[in-house]
Amino acid sequence: MEKKEAPKKPEWLKVTYDQKKVDQMNDLLSGLKLNTVCAEANCPNLGECFGNGTASFIILGPNCTRACRFCDIPHGHPQPVDLLEPYRVAEATKRLGLSHVVVTSVDRDDLPDLGADQFVKTINLIRKMNPDTTIEVLTPDFQGRENCLDKVIAAKPDVFNHNMETVRSITPKVRHRATYDTSLKVLKYVKDHAPKSTFVKTGIMLGLGETDEEVYQLMDDLRAIDVDFLTIGQYVQPGPKNYRLREWVPMKRYATYYKEARKRGFRFVASSPLVRSSYKAKEELEAVYGK
Amino acid sequence: MLKEIHMPKLSPKSDQYFFGEWHKQPGDAVKEGDVLFEVETDKVISQVESQEDGVLKEQNVNTGDTTNVGDLVATIEVA
Repeated sequence: MEKKEAPKKPEWLKVTYDQKKVDQMNDLLSGLKLNTVCAEANCPNLGECFGNGTASFIILGPNCTRACRFCDIPHGHPQPVDLLEPYRVAEATKRLGLSHVVVTSVDRDDLPDLGADQFVKTINLIRKMNPDTTIEVLTPDFQGRENCLDKVIAAKPDVFNHNMETVRSITPKVRHRATYDTSLKVLKYVKDHAPKSTFVKTGIMLGLGETDEEVYQLMDDLRAIDVDFLTIGQYVQPGPKNYRLREWVPMKRYATYYKEARKRGFRFVASSPLVRSSYKAKEELEAVYGK
Repeated sequence: MLKEIHMPKLSPKSDQYFFGEWHKQPGDAVKEGDVLFEVETDKVISQVESQEDGVLKEQNVNTGDTTNVGDLVATIEVA
């Protein structure tokens, strides 16, 4: 067997893995032919979330029409839209007994509606089959097109999430066909047009080389348009071809960013290395509802 | 009864991992849920728990080894 130096990943990257629960979850999902962002993006929290019976479903995949350099989702020729997929997500939500479900998608720049209709169908069917489940969508930027955003807004998800991913200066280096200003515009449009009961959320990764000032500027930009929730987590480079990891950001900085974000008025902030956009999303909504 | 422990599939994207540290040594009692060993996958260090109660008899891989899914990792004498 080949020898290599001992792992150098930081201590907090240690996660426990419950094989039985992950097997159970995979069995359920494979039976329904669904993709989870957990598995597709190789998420570090997969073991914990699957262990707790939580998953984030990724629709319209598995291939993405964009090739962002931080991302582990396969870039490739898109598949035809699966008309039964919304039903299967709703059925999986039911079988798992989820009280909060997250639905995200790959980018579908090839489709006339950029994938908005599939989000709407999925939201509607989840709600029909699971009337007590709260629904969070994590959407692409829909190229900033208001008619696509209107459709998803009208389906009234409880949380509308669209990720900024990183600060302004790094955005063109890591995102493909997406801009800082388009993402801000998306969040502003949703905030201005969605019902007051819809929370607007975004998330960023740290460790790409951003400075404190840039992170605070991002927070200010988000609060200027009244974004409600912010998630901050560590970028983990998926493979050698992806954007190079610049830094394992120390825990202290996450605490500082948490305080700064709260001070600026975000209603909920999750700031910790293993935080991902949908990690503990249910707890976040409960905190705001005061349950 | 002896039970073989094989490397589980810990990452959907890869079948080859670097073996980290052992948490149990040969002769140690092991309970279900105890961490047996650590493995470094693409994105995390996974702590793999025992599915059995028993005694660890043999370690078949060492820290720093490259292991593949399905490789024999250890043998446990199941109680």
